[in-house]
Amino acid sequence: MVAVRGVSKWFGAHQVLKDVSLDVAAGEVVAVIGPSGSGKTTLLRCVNLLEDFQQGEIRVDGEAVGYAGAGAARRRLPERVIARTRSQVGMVFQSFNLFPHMTVLKNVMVAPVRVKKMPEAEARASAVRLLERVGLADKLDAYPARLSGGQQQRVAIARALAMQPKVILLDEITSALDPELVGEVLAVIRQLARDGMTMMIVTHEMQFAREVAQKVVFMDGGAMIEQGPPRALFADPRTERLQTFLKRFREGYQL
Amino acid sequence: MKLDFNFILRNLPTFLEGAVVTLELSALAILCSLVWGLVVVTARTAPSRALALAATGYIELVRNTPVLVQMLFIYFGSAVLGAPLSGFAAGLLAMTLQNGGYMAEIYRAGIEAVSQRQVEAGMALGMRRHEVMSIVVLPQAIRKVVPPFTNQAIVMIKDTSLVSSISVAEMTFHAKLLTDRTAAAYEVFLTLAALYLAINAIVSAALRLLERRVAIPT
Ligand SMILES: Nc1ncnc2c1ncn2[C@@H]1O[C@H](COP(=O)(O)OP(=O)(O)OP(=O)(O)O)[C@@H](O)[C@H]1O
Ligand SMILES: [Mg+2]
Repeated sequence: MVAVRGVSKWFGAHQVLKDVSLDVAAGEVVAVIGPSGSGKTTLLRCVNLLEDFQQGEIRVDGEAVGYAGAGAARRRLPERVIARTRSQVGMVFQSFNLFPHMTVLKNVMVAPVRVKKMPEAEARASAVRLLERVGLADKLDAYPARLSGGQQQRVAIARALAMQPKVILLDEITSALDPELVGEVLAVIRQLARDGMTMMIVTHEMQFAREVAQKVVFMDGGAMIEQGPPRALFADPRTERLQTFLKRFREGYQL
Repeated sequence: MKLDFNFILRNLPTFLEGAVVTLELSALAILCSLVWGLVVVTARTAPSRALALAATGYIELVRNTPVLVQMLFIYFGSAVLGAPLSGFAAGLLAMTLQNGGYMAEIYRAGIEAVSQRQVEAGMALGMRRHEVMSIVVLPQAIRKVVPPFTNQAIVMIKDTSLVSSISVAEMTFHAKLLTDRTAAAYEVFLTLAALYLAINAIVSAALRLLERRVAIPT
């Protein structure tokens, strides 16, 4: 569903992605782990072109993201095409980023109605269903400012799902939450994984990655270092970098 | 010093006649500046360098020259060009040109106050650039813009008094005539000040009400 091929990205002279390749199959959950600054967020943001990248190619369901052609003929696709691609890729941010001037229901309805041109009644029904699914059926008319972080993040997930995306990108979606609110959000993601949603999840929650992901990708210094099924990867890291990372993580975890 | 209240009462109709013109000019100038400001801010924030530069130059020009000078320039200049504008039209045009520049800057501050994260949330949902603007950014920016807009509206109402110098018969013009005729300067200008005060008090109260009405409910 998502194919990342040899993607490199520079911020000025600083290379933050180095020839990264990975695949996310339909219905698969891929967790991306790695130390701070390793390029996880940047990689995710390249998949829906919130960041542009200078080399390589990304495809979502076969369609090229952001650029056509290769080498000297490589050119950025028109904004209209990029927007269409983005409409098929959901994203959930660490900081929720709900629209503060819209009710919960409106937050979830607005993109289907305005971008997908879905009839209002249909969008409303689907939004209500999604909000029920994330346990917020009683908050339809509330404004985001009134919700807890956990509730806001669940609305953000419903908002992304409302576009019926082919894949959802989640960037440390529990990092901004109080510890007691993390569980309710992870529960929603677990359910999505069971329902066969294709997801790319950047997370620091190793336990969670092990549990929901079919594949774990370890990044360090902008490069994809190792990838594999979580059990194998965690039990038997082949590279020293991953060993060090896991060791540090376990020590930190047990402290 | 004793105030002649009878004089004020006697001449109140004259003042009110002027007040109607003041209100007309204020309302039109405010409306036109709101719209013109949108045009200017669109250019100011356009991807095209040349357009943005032109808009910036325009804003600096109108900001750094007195609106009275602009009025005189347009009023007499239009006559020289053989297409003389009425004092009212010249005043309205000058006020729109000047305050449109200020409004553009107010809009821009409002737009910039909406965080980049909101923009990205819109883009991530597949919104086009103009859709992000109209669905996500402007509704939030407008709310942030109401307080500075209130200030600007009051400045504009006061500035309408300047068109008295290009013979528009608004409040200040009538007041000047009255003092020429009667020498009751104290009463005349006290009344005039009170009327501006009253108008501005009402306008600010109305806009504060608006500010509360559009505030995002919590
Ligand atoms: N807008 C930017 N401009 C310049 N450099 C940036 C920018 N965004 C990120 N970087 C750099 O790119 C590198 C990768 O950052 P990124 O945010 O992708 O890391 P990350 O793996 O998500 O880290 P974390 O776990 O802390 O979220 C870092 O060195 C960072 O400083
Ligand atoms: Mg990150």
